[in-house]
Amino acid sequence: MSLLQEEREIILNNEFIDPFDFAEVEEFVKNANEELFISHHFAKKEKMLVQPRGGFPTYEKQFALNEFFVEANVDVLPLTIDSNTRLNDYTTARKMLQLSEESEHDMLNGYPLVTHGYKATRQMITHFKKPVSLRHGTPDARLLIEVAIASGIFEIEGGPITYLLPYSKNFPLDKAFLYWKYVEKVCANYSKLNLPINRESFGPLTATLVPPSITIVIQLLEMLLSLEEGVKSFSVSFSQTGSMNQDIVMGSVMRKMAKFYAQEIDCADATINLVYHQWMGAFPTDKKFAQQLINMSTVIASMVGADKIITKTKEEASGIPTKEANAETVANTQYTLRILNGLPNITDKEEEEILTMEVKAIMEAVFNDSADTLWRKVFNSIKNGIIDVPFSPHIINHNEMITMRDANKNIRIIKRGNVPIPDRCFEYEKSQCDLGKSNTSIVNDIIHDIGIMQ
Amino acid sequence: MKVVTGVVGNDIHVVANRLIELSLDARGFEVFNLGVNTYLEEFFDAAVETQADVLLISSLNGEAEGWAREVKLLKSKYNTLDDIIMVIGGNLVVGTASADEIVPRYKKYGFDLVFHQVDLNTGLDTLEMYIKQRDVK
Repeated sequence: MSLLQEEREIILNNEFIDPFDFAEVEEFVKNANEELFISHHFAKKEKMLVQPRGGFPTYEKQFALNEFFVEANVDVLPLTIDSNTRLNDYTTARKMLQLSEESEHDMLNGYPLVTHGYKATRQMITHFKKPVSLRHGTPDARLLIEVAIASGIFEIEGGPITYLLPYSKNFPLDKAFLYWKYVEKVCANYSKLNLPINRESFGPLTATLVPPSITIVIQLLEMLLSLEEGVKSFSVSFSQTGSMNQDIVMGSVMRKMAKFYAQEIDCADATINLVYHQWMGAFPTDKKFAQQLINMSTVIASMVGADKIITKTKEEASGIPTKEANAETVANTQYTLRILNGLPNITDKEEEEILTMEVKAIMEAVFNDSADTLWRKVFNSIKNGIIDVPFSPHIINHNEMITMRDANKNIRIIKRGNVPIPDRCFEYEKSQCDLGKSNTSIVNDIIHDIGIMQ
Repeated sequence: MKVVTGVVGNDIHVVANRLIELSLDARGFEVFNLGVNTYLEEFFDAAVETQADVLLISSLNGEAEGWAREVKLLKSKYNTLDDIIMVIGGNLVVGTASADEIVPRYKKYGFDLVFHQVDLNTGLDTLEMYIKQRDVK
């Protein structure tokens, strides 16, 4: 038996799930309907796929949410997992699910997939015959993704960096890399049986003034870590920056660089998709304004040429959205996409050149680390600040880089810390900003820059 | 002036924490930021270790009060913290309550300055003024 299979048997043998029938699950994946695979829909290239966010504790409420989404003409269904399951606390998840089932009150902020199990969840997913995307935030997702794939969920979001640096203060990063290696391997193996299982990285990170170069580098590295384990379909992603031009530039550079680096490791046969998140920062409390913001995000996603868009709702500022509000966004977004035709072609060569130089310089510094494997190089690079994510709560993150917005709301690097931004690029970035003021007023500007959409 | 700061309890709201660090830094303080998700013991240990002049605790998710009740008792176990300026700010209750109600309550818990839903710069201006006045004495 392979080491991986031994590990799988340990992971899948516990009191929280029903006995896991490996052969039955394999047979299910092998014969699964192509409609369940997002990779199938990406390959058709018919339109930008629309995917909302959402997860409710009970089977019935999740089913009802999906019905609303399908009614609104959704392309990809989400399955957002509750925070107890994310932290591997299946005991609490079970207790809270019971409480949620006994009353009308939801005691979980998502669907406790491990607790529901794959047999029940598979019934729901095969009923709707839509691709489902697993949204979680779990550093150790080994059990979760096994249950997900067995349920018919053939897109797995996340990664060792993007699901850790924005969400955790001290979960060990090296462990996250190893746990995600397992995820990649399992996804790669199942991909051999039928259409590929898609992996998606979480580009928004902290969604707070993250500069494009950092976002792209992390997307590329998680992509490489995934492809090197044999994954054949991968989505890089990012969220609306606040500047339409910067979004277009970032999308273009991310696509080109993803193709370039995939080729570098002889994985040019893998499909790389681009995913755009509607505004991920603080939302306006006024629901009408929120709706306008959402609509604008859809327009920008079209300009970017995204393969998939992930939507927000007008209730974003007030908490977990109702199924009605959620479905409304899906319908509105589909409408906007349908009437949005004849888009102009925009490129900004200078910005693209600067951003490409930055990305290549950081990537080179990561590759030049003396460690023997890619994940160790990446680990060391985060540890020594070559990769630095603004506003990450994690203790390993350097927090030396400082960014702010220029007059056109582009995110600019005004302090680079240990990140090897080439001098020419750094001078360019700083020259776009008004840095002649006092330090205190720059901090005020940063506060303002974070809340621009409110 | 040395300041130890961080977010108390199981609270992961990092944006304001980082802004507090940047603002203090811009005002010339030497900042020791313990980040989010910090327990009272860690605050006091760091204050001793760094010989801090100010301990600035922040909170957003409403957990502060549960922790604040233990401040006096815990602080009394350390013998070098008598002169430290105790500051707390953020959103200090679950639900809503007026500052008139909250400020005296937190002063009783052992804080010298209490900022409930006060703008960051107003709070730090007040802190600087407080330090100046204390130094005159």
